[in-house]
Amino acid sequence: MRTQQTTAPAIEISQLTKSYGAARALDGVDISVPEGSVFGFLGPNGAGKTTTLRIMTGLADPSSGSVRIFGRDVRDPETRRSIGFLPDVPGFYPWMNAREFLRFAGGLFGLTGRVLDDRVDVLLRLAGLEDVKTRVGGYSRGMKQRLGVAQALINAPRLLLLDEPTSALDPIGRKEVLEMISSLRGRTTVFFSTHILADVERVCDTVAILDKGRVLTQASIDDLKARYGAHRLMLEVDKDPSGFAEELRMKPWVSAVDIQADGTMALTLSDLSQAQTEIPTLLVQRGLALKRFEGGEVGLEEVFVDLVKGGAR
Amino acid sequence: MKGAIRFLGKEFTEIVRTWRIWVVPGLLLFFAITSPILAIMTPALIESLAQGPSGIQIIVPDPTYLDAYAQWVGNLQEIVMFALIFTAGGMIAGERSQGTAILVLTKPVSRASFVVAKFVSNLVLLAAFTVTGALACWGVTYLVFHEAPVSRLAASTAAWLAYAVLILAFMTLYSARFKSLAAGGAGLGTFFMISVLTLWGPAVKYSPAGLLKASGDLLTGTQVDLAWPLLTTALGVVLLLGAAILVFRRQEI
Repeated sequence: MRTQQTTAPAIEISQLTKSYGAARALDGVDISVPEGSVFGFLGPNGAGKTTTLRIMTGLADPSSGSVRIFGRDVRDPETRRSIGFLPDVPGFYPWMNAREFLRFAGGLFGLTGRVLDDRVDVLLRLAGLEDVKTRVGGYSRGMKQRLGVAQALINAPRLLLLDEPTSALDPIGRKEVLEMISSLRGRTTVFFSTHILADVERVCDTVAILDKGRVLTQASIDDLKARYGAHRLMLEVDKDPSGFAEELRMKPWVSAVDIQADGTMALTLSDLSQAQTEIPTLLVQRGLALKRFEGGEVGLEEVFVDLVKGGAR
Repeated sequence: MKGAIRFLGKEFTEIVRTWRIWVVPGLLLFFAITSPILAIMTPALIESLAQGPSGIQIIVPDPTYLDAYAQWVGNLQEIVMFALIFTAGGMIAGERSQGTAILVLTKPVSRASFVVAKFVSNLVLLAAFTVTGALACWGVTYLVFHEAPVSRLAASTAAWLAYAVLILAFMTLYSARFKSLAAGGAGLGTFFMISVLTLWGPAVKYSPAGLLKASGDLLTGTQVDLAWPLLTTALGVVLLLGAAILVFRRQEI
């Protein structure tokens, strides 16, 4: 059931705050999610990811600020027709089986007859539950999570909101869910919160990193890596690197030097061009031969850790 | 609207397929059948217990259909009411604590529909099984006593049912606001408060307390005017449901 297409972003969050007494769970969050993207909402536990999602789905009210979904207020019932939502711990009626629950969920969107039958069949297959006849009360956490993803898709949503969708899944279930999310790219906007960086790196095109209720950065994965990856350098020499590493640590353009198990030095730099100019001279002075000199392959994990430890740059 | 109707349908299915079918409906049918039997056996039981070496003899008058009806209404007023209060305490609170409310309320089902569906499904369950129980009680009473006028039983049961609907509305509000156990406690407090009000004339004449008292009085053929109690009960139900919707709308799930 698709509502009228708009040119507004799929999600527009402006200056969102949420306080519980003196504690501030969200502190001026601004996020814009373009339609059709797969958006990763990253943050350590307690960063405010679930609170944001609860406000986005109308389950909680913001203290201030606004959330608009396809240009509409989240409290507008029409908005909910465009959304599929999977909470972090989905709760089901234990007396229903998977087929009954999906039929019930579809019925809440007004789906009936052949359309509902077909969707339920497709989603049961997708969730790997087509042959499971037992009641949901006896399901494992992983089975419940897969059923949760299936029910979130029953209305063919324009926007799929997933709160930690892979956290309870085994590696195969995780791979399947990530492939399913990836397959929705371009057709459905996917916004999913997680603390599993590998998942984000695998399927997302854009991420926002949240910490202590604040967005530290929002950018495409490539932008993030380019922005932070340029400041890393991998260096390998033919002799013991410890003396040279010590000398490098004294340089104002070096932020950190880590010597890895294979002897490679991982340099974090505040000025890459200065490093590229000075390092060859330093090597000659110490009589060291260069075996490797390259820009480090920075992972999202390193970006995430740097940002969360150091605050926004 | 379709979503709200589908949710109401789920409520009815849930009643039939879970423990809920066995508590209030089960108690209603159990007391409907056992009340007349217990009424006819009570004198014999008392006399047999009293016969002993002391030589004291207790003479109990022969029981009538009115004793059967009184047993039935007495059970409605106490045991069935307690069961209703504690099962209804979880009607909304249970969905909140189990997380099922989240999956429903993030779909096109309004919070008002959610509350109304809960009240309506419990009301239908209560009314259907109270009527069934009253019919069963009448049938068994006729079999046991060969006499069972309908009017007194019907009037008395109807007065209790109207009062029970008010209690159900209170429970809807409490369950929207509190956790299951706290809602049950609040419901019990309300029940005792109304019971105390039956001792005060003006409350009996104008408030829902009149219905509770009437459910007993009507059995004995006492003439009672229930216009005001019925009116204030109806008003109370509407106000309580409105309050439950407001409370639930403001709540963070």
